[in-house]
Amino acid sequence: MEESTSLVCSLGILEKLNDNSIQEIIKSYGGFCTTTESLLNGAGDLSVGPEFVLHVHSLCKHGLQSLVCDHFLLSLEQAFERIGVTNFWRHFDSYSKVGVVQKNNSSIYDDDVQLVLCKALEEMSLEKQYQEKCLFMLVHALQLHKESMFEGKQNADSERAHLFAKYQLMVSSVLMASLPLHFPEILHRYFKGKLEELSRIMDGDLEGKNEFQDKDNMDLDEKGKHRTGEMDIDESYNHGKFSEKNKLVKHIGKVVRDLRSLGFTSMTENAYASAIFSLLKAKVHNLAGEDYRNSVLESIKGWIKVVPLQFLNALLAYLGDSIGYDTPSSGLKSPLASHLSTCSSEIDTPSEGLIRWQLRLEYFAYETLQDLRIAKLFEIIVDYPESSPAIEDLKQCLEYTGQHSKLVESFISALKYRLLTAGASTNDILHQYVSTIKALRTIDPTGVFLEAVGEPIRDYLRGRKDTIKCIVTMLTDGTGGNPNGSANTGDSLLEELNRDEENQEIAGIDDDFNSDDKQAWINAACWEPDPVEADPLKGSRNRRKVDILGMIVSIIGSKDQLVNEYRVMLAEKLLNKSDYDIDSEIRTLELLKIHFGESSMQKCEIMLNDLIDSKRTNTNIKLTAAKQSQTGAELGEDAVSLDILDATIISSNFWPPMQIWHLWHVLEAQGASRHHSMWFPEFQDEALIVPEPVDKLFSDYAKRFNEIKTPRKLLWKKNLGTVKLELQFEDRTTLFTVAPLHAAIIMQFQEQKSWTSKNLAAAVGLPEDVLNRRINFWISKGILSESVGTDSNDHIYTLVEGMVDSSKNGGNSGSCEELLVGDDEGESTVASVEDQIRNEMTVYEKFILGMLTNFGSMAADRIHNTLKMFCVADPPYDKSLQQLQSFLSGLVSEEKLELRDGMYFLKK
Amino acid sequence: MEVRPNQTVDDSSIHQRHVPAAASKQPVAAPNTVDSTSVSQRLQKELMSLMMSGGDLGVSAFPEAESIFTWVGTIEGGKGTMYEGLSYKLSLRFPLDYPFKPPQVKFETMCFHPNVDQFGNICLDILQDKWSSAYDCRTILLSIQSLLGEPNPESPLNSYAAALWGNKEVDYRKMVHKQYYGGEIIES
Repeated sequence: MEESTSLVCSLGILEKLNDNSIQEIIKSYGGFCTTTESLLNGAGDLSVGPEFVLHVHSLCKHGLQSLVCDHFLLSLEQAFERIGVTNFWRHFDSYSKVGVVQKNNSSIYDDDVQLVLCKALEEMSLEKQYQEKCLFMLVHALQLHKESMFEGKQNADSERAHLFAKYQLMVSSVLMASLPLHFPEILHRYFKGKLEELSRIMDGDLEGKNEFQDKDNMDLDEKGKHRTGEMDIDESYNHGKFSEKNKLVKHIGKVVRDLRSLGFTSMTENAYASAIFSLLKAKVHNLAGEDYRNSVLESIKGWIKVVPLQFLNALLAYLGDSIGYDTPSSGLKSPLASHLSTCSSEIDTPSEGLIRWQLRLEYFAYETLQDLRIAKLFEIIVDYPESSPAIEDLKQCLEYTGQHSKLVESFISALKYRLLTAGASTNDILHQYVSTIKALRTIDPTGVFLEAVGEPIRDYLRGRKDTIKCIVTMLTDGTGGNPNGSANTGDSLLEELNRDEENQEIAGIDDDFNSDDKQAWINAACWEPDPVEADPLKGSRNRRKVDILGMIVSIIGSKDQLVNEYRVMLAEKLLNKSDYDIDSEIRTLELLKIHFGESSMQKCEIMLNDLIDSKRTNTNIKLTAAKQSQTGAELGEDAVSLDILDATIISSNFWPPMQIWHLWHVLEAQGASRHHSMWFPEFQDEALIVPEPVDKLFSDYAKRFNEIKTPRKLLWKKNLGTVKLELQFEDRTTLFTVAPLHAAIIMQFQEQKSWTSKNLAAAVGLPEDVLNRRINFWISKGILSESVGTDSNDHIYTLVEGMVDSSKNGGNSGSCEELLVGDDEGESTVASVEDQIRNEMTVYEKFILGMLTNFGSMAADRIHNTLKMFCVADPPYDKSLQQLQSFLSGLVSEEKLELRDGMYFLKK
Repeated sequence: MEVRPNQTVDDSSIHQRHVPAAASKQPVAAPNTVDSTSVSQRLQKELMSLMMSGGDLGVSAFPEAESIFTWVGTIEGGKGTMYEGLSYKLSLRFPLDYPFKPPQVKFETMCFHPNVDQFGNICLDILQDKWSSAYDCRTILLSIQSLLGEPNPESPLNSYAAALWGNKEVDYRKMVHKQYYGGEIIES
């Protein structure tokens, strides 16, 4: 605006010009140009000053003020470009490859960078000072002219400010225009180097002086008070501890100020901000590392206060006055920051700028730590109870950043990649699942994210066959592994859950006590909406309590299946017991009752009661037997005493179905086997032929049982149970604890040293192939040997009397050995759940075939509904439509059914 | 309706032979106040045993739709009879006081037979006065199956069929097939 008016002005003047004045103008202009030239190019020679002023004055007289200004500025620019800029950038030429150089090599340049930058800046500011001096001369001349013209001083200051602003703009634009690409990198390098230096100093201070932490904080506040000028800061910093640091900060401050004066304000801020952030990041990574056993958040926050904030505080304070002008132009600060510059008058609190920096840094630290922890969440959860500090950290971070969805995504992909693979054992997956539940419950009490994370695990586990078994083992067995394990030292998951539950309940009761109006008001005030990710169908957070057991049961689908599996496992456990000691089982059952209710555990309870009853009955029978033998003494010498027999009497209606080849000293109350024969047509509990004396013992026992418990009778399950055997050879005695079947086999060799497999099978009452399989046990023990008989299908088994082979059996050389020989061929006493399911399915198959016979064709859902309605017998139909569908397609592939247009038909 | 003499000889006849004895033991005043839950429990049981044992015998039945009191039955014609290879649909309606009263059983498929009328009604003693609560769905179906092979021409519902039976075997078989496949065509 001003320019244009002056231009109009001068045009007016032009018309009034006469030769004289034209001469004068030309002369003055010539003089002005030469003096300007010599001023700007003459190395610091100000001797032409007065002449210059004279020329300016005369030119202004003719209204050519703007021409003067423009020409002078142009000359300044040319001079600056020619001398200053090229010299300045030349300093950094050697670093033009810095960006390309590998990061780890670059540290050797750092010291150089600092020196070069300082030197360059110094030269540059000298140059600039000189030019400013020249500019001031011009301003002075103009001012003189104005004073003579208007006899006043109006506008002078604004004129000067205008010119200087123009100059400043010119300087920075020239520099920017010729900016080499690597310069920001150099700045970054410089600040990084300085900050690291500072950090080292501060760390040195911090070491072993935790009490200084508070002091530092106080100092920080104190420093905040003194941020108005550098003098104050010098004073407050002057105690020895800070002197070194102070020097450093002052040095940095100077560099920053120089850079600012060259117009690199935002670039500088960028540089030191990025240096601070990268240092902070390195620090977080360094502190957090791979150690999840300690909380690092506090120390990170402490470090932020001590190092970068101190630095910024000092820096802002050092720059003091200038920051007021520069902040608005800073592209780095948040929009809010522009309101900040006025705060320098506040003295009681640290400056807003500093607080904003603190928040920024803390947020950055939270985010970095969060990312770090999320990336490693899988490992963290693997060692969960130990890694809870890391979880706690993560929780706090997430509260700040709110990036829960990041956690969910990353964790799910980690799970899929690392856990839900064929290589992971079901037990491991389950343990990880439980840890995940616990850990995420800490992070997110509402369970919303847990829901999302748990889903893939549950889906995966549903596809595994041994899931139920593993869950039950995990729930009931502290050792977490082998169900026969006697060393039940650790707490089972169930007990842990129980303690958990109690705690939650206590908390719940407390809530109820305080539920007066005031409490209600407080509760209402505390209400928070569910996270956005929450599934509205799943209910609000208040109604939701994370129930670990519930979540585990939800893997399986129904608690009935879990209870059933437990029953099978319990049955196996109880049948393998020989001492009636069921204390731990009773305890587990009580715990299960708490969770699943009395009624669903009823069968298990009856099983336990059977054992207690058995113990009593067993003692009873033995007592009466002892009495009779005392009074009557009719028992022959050869008869085996009842003392060696311990019976377990079970009411088999409530026990899971037994499998065939395993019965011996387990008895069964009358009238119970109908159930089995219905579902297990192949059931053959009478097949095993036990040796004569033992059989007599059985019938004797059964008779006495009948006397005590009339009208109930015993049915022996002869191949269940365990037998303790002592084998006496010529040179040794060996003890074995084996299955009845093995005992029956070896007993046959008492009379006859060698048997053909056919004869032996007949004598023991086993099919030949079963015998051949089972006899391997004795062969492997070196008790029997096998040879091919006359008939190639017939094997001959011979008792090995001597110790010839014992050496190859390693540990067998001892005279006494007790071995618990369990299910060496992977068969278990009790029909596994899979077998049960298969048998249930045959019932369904018959129903399906039956209904299709009568209805012709049916869709899957109608079959499903019909089964639900009418198949309510012993194993009630409890399958899902999906399960049914897969079963139906199984029948289709077996060519029993065919599927056309979604309808199932009988295959003709 | 007359009582048919029991002359069946196949497996299922075992049950029929006992008919008079069982029926005579039947209490005259059968308790009519049977709650329907025990009835449906009994039917449930019958269904289960039918499902587990049926099929091989060529008889089957299943509750129709929601109610367990209405069943659909299927009978395969016995081997070596005129009805071999044909499968007949029946409907069974169980009364609320079952098993003290017999169910109503009708052929739903057209059946050319001396003891079956054009509406599918069956003349069979155990479904009327010789009923016993010891019978169940399976025995009823087996009895009807054996009736197909061995009709009682003495008490015909379909006199034409009774006339053909035993005399004109070829015509009889033709009529059986004609009615089975033709459905609605009824010979007078």
